[in-house]
Amino acid sequence: MSGTWYYIFTLAFFLFDYFILAMGLNIQYGETGILNFAYIGFVAIGAYVTGVLSLPSSAGTGQYYILGLSLPFPVNLLLGGLTASAFAVLVALIALRRLRTDYLAMVLISLSLVLYDVCNNYVPLFNGADGLYNVPEPFAAALKLNTNSFIPFFAAVTGVIALFMWFVMSRVTRSPAGRTFRAIRDDEVVAAALGKDVFRQQLKSMLIGSFYAGIGGGLLIQFSGSFNPTAWLPGETFVVFAVILVGGVGNNIGLLVGALLVETLLVHLPAFLPAIPGAPGLIEYFDAVLIGVLLMVMLWFRPQGVVPERARRAASFGVKARLGTAAGELAEHVGSARAPQATTEPVALTTEGSGP
Amino acid sequence: MTSVTMPETGGPGDGSVILRCEGITKAFQGVHAVNGAAFDVVKGQVTALIGPNGAGKTTLVNILSGSMTCDRGHEFIGGTEVTNWPSHRIARLGLMRTFQLSRELGGLTVLENLLVAPHQQPGESLFNVFFRPRLVKRQERAYVERALDLLDTYGLYRLRDNRAGELSGGQKKLLEISRAVMVSPQVLLLDEPMAGVNPALIDRIGGYILDLQRSGVTVLMIEHNLNVVEQICDHVIVLAEGRTLATGRLSELRQNEQVVKAYLGEVIDAGTDR
Ligand SMILES: Nc1ncnc2c1ncn2[C@@H]1O[C@H](COP(=O)(O)OP(=O)(O)O)[C@@H](O)[C@H]1O
Ligand SMILES: [Mg+2]
Repeated sequence: MSGTWYYIFTLAFFLFDYFILAMGLNIQYGETGILNFAYIGFVAIGAYVTGVLSLPSSAGTGQYYILGLSLPFPVNLLLGGLTASAFAVLVALIALRRLRTDYLAMVLISLSLVLYDVCNNYVPLFNGADGLYNVPEPFAAALKLNTNSFIPFFAAVTGVIALFMWFVMSRVTRSPAGRTFRAIRDDEVVAAALGKDVFRQQLKSMLIGSFYAGIGGGLLIQFSGSFNPTAWLPGETFVVFAVILVGGVGNNIGLLVGALLVETLLVHLPAFLPAIPGAPGLIEYFDAVLIGVLLMVMLWFRPQGVVPERARRAASFGVKARLGTAAGELAEHVGSARAPQATTEPVALTTEGSGP
Repeated sequence: MTSVTMPETGGPGDGSVILRCEGITKAFQGVHAVNGAAFDVVKGQVTALIGPNGAGKTTLVNILSGSMTCDRGHEFIGGTEVTNWPSHRIARLGLMRTFQLSRELGGLTVLENLLVAPHQQPGESLFNVFFRPRLVKRQERAYVERALDLLDTYGLYRLRDNRAGELSGGQKKLLEISRAVMVSPQVLLLDEPMAGVNPALIDRIGGYILDLQRSGVTVLMIEHNLNVVEQICDHVIVLAEGRTLATGRLSELRQNEQVVKAYLGEVIDAGTDR
């Protein structure tokens, strides 16, 4: 396989993987309004757990980690996703129950820093700062894949998984459940006054989103065979935020566009460009700057993102249209409209009879 | 003597108390916003809650609807004590409210604002979404039918696909009322439904409230315009400094010196100016 194809399939993998990650953050932030600044922590949990479940027992590997069960793909991946979800329940019970959105955001940032320090420094858990490596490549032995053929193969696997997860997610967001999430995003107090159990719904949204984070993380470690703390610096969360803000909050297709623009073009493509002579690594250092500039430009000129959220139209429910005349005039001229026909007694609000 | 302007209540009102509060107290940093308010709201009636600015009317509505907790006191809906229940549980008992400053769900369409209102929808369960899609679809159609009828009645039908955030002030008031009505509430708390809207719309909203009463809804509304109170309210509660100062028909209250001194004097003047 030529170098070009290697690049293309690698880029495709990151596109699909960040599409999954963006869908997970979008249901939390874009749909439900939860500012989950610890998102990358859930990705890391998914990655580490997927890794230690597929690695053999750590004895004699030169690494230190828990479990080591040699579970096959995709069992390990699913368990990685579920572990991230379980962690979300814990976080929600601690932080979501009582805290307003802005405080919650701060608590979550702190939490991701704590998680980072633990994983980075407590070696017996996930091999500390060295992280996990030599993670078995899924199906590589069975399909006799070599290092070259594994990359297109696994990019395709990730594409299929992303497609399936997109299908599931769009069912969720288009359903009444998604509508209730958006009501909570727009105004928690109103949603509660409409009988919505806000905590329960936010918990549900956290669970789903964290599962997506965990799967996205699990795919990352399976693709590259390794995962260590440099892969999930807490600032990584903002790359995922950039993906959804650029692509379009609340629109699943927009997330794919966002993943393409931010993750593929800005984060990964520069790594494949030839280095500027005399300034090695300069292009990569500009990633963060470019993302920041793109974010500012977007928020300034097109805050709804490249592909904005689409509202579901009345006609799409397939019910008979009304004449729109029951209340008289056009609602735009509501002030001059007649009293509704149903009112048999016109209410004349003159001052007549207003004194004893 | 005001019976001329009183609508025939009729309907399901049998004189029983549907909403009761006893000694409700709420302080913000030591300032008593509500200080022992106590009153009954009779089923099937339209009751006005009046009182000077800062009397604690909005705070009381927030407490009664569960948007806020109270420090002391008791609240009953029907026979059930619901003191400091969370908002969503009170809503599920059939008490709905609107807000003094309109709080539309701005990112949702006008139609969706109504569709989201019914409590505990089958389609809110993801199990149903994936494994019982026909049930969800059938229920959705029923909601859409009802919502479109309501939007038609409230003159918002043509705006059904607009985002609620784009509506004018008066339209938002109508949207809030129709959203609350969407769930067929037993008790409706309206926080100044007619504040800041033009006189023609005041008439219309008055008409809607009377229609709701006819269909069996009990209404408690905060209202400053005494002409409106005169026209559509069966009963009046006067709140001053967080306490129930007096209750009764408006005509009776006008003869209550205390009430006139505390409140009515200024407002009667203001009211006749309009
Ligand atoms: N969230 C709050 N924090 C502090 N003070 C408040 C709050 N809400 C209301 N108040 C105070 O409580 C008193 C009653 O307010 P409110 O219930 O809005 O009166 P009303 O609706 O009768 O005009 C006022 O003095 C107001 O400043
Ligand atoms: Mg008020």
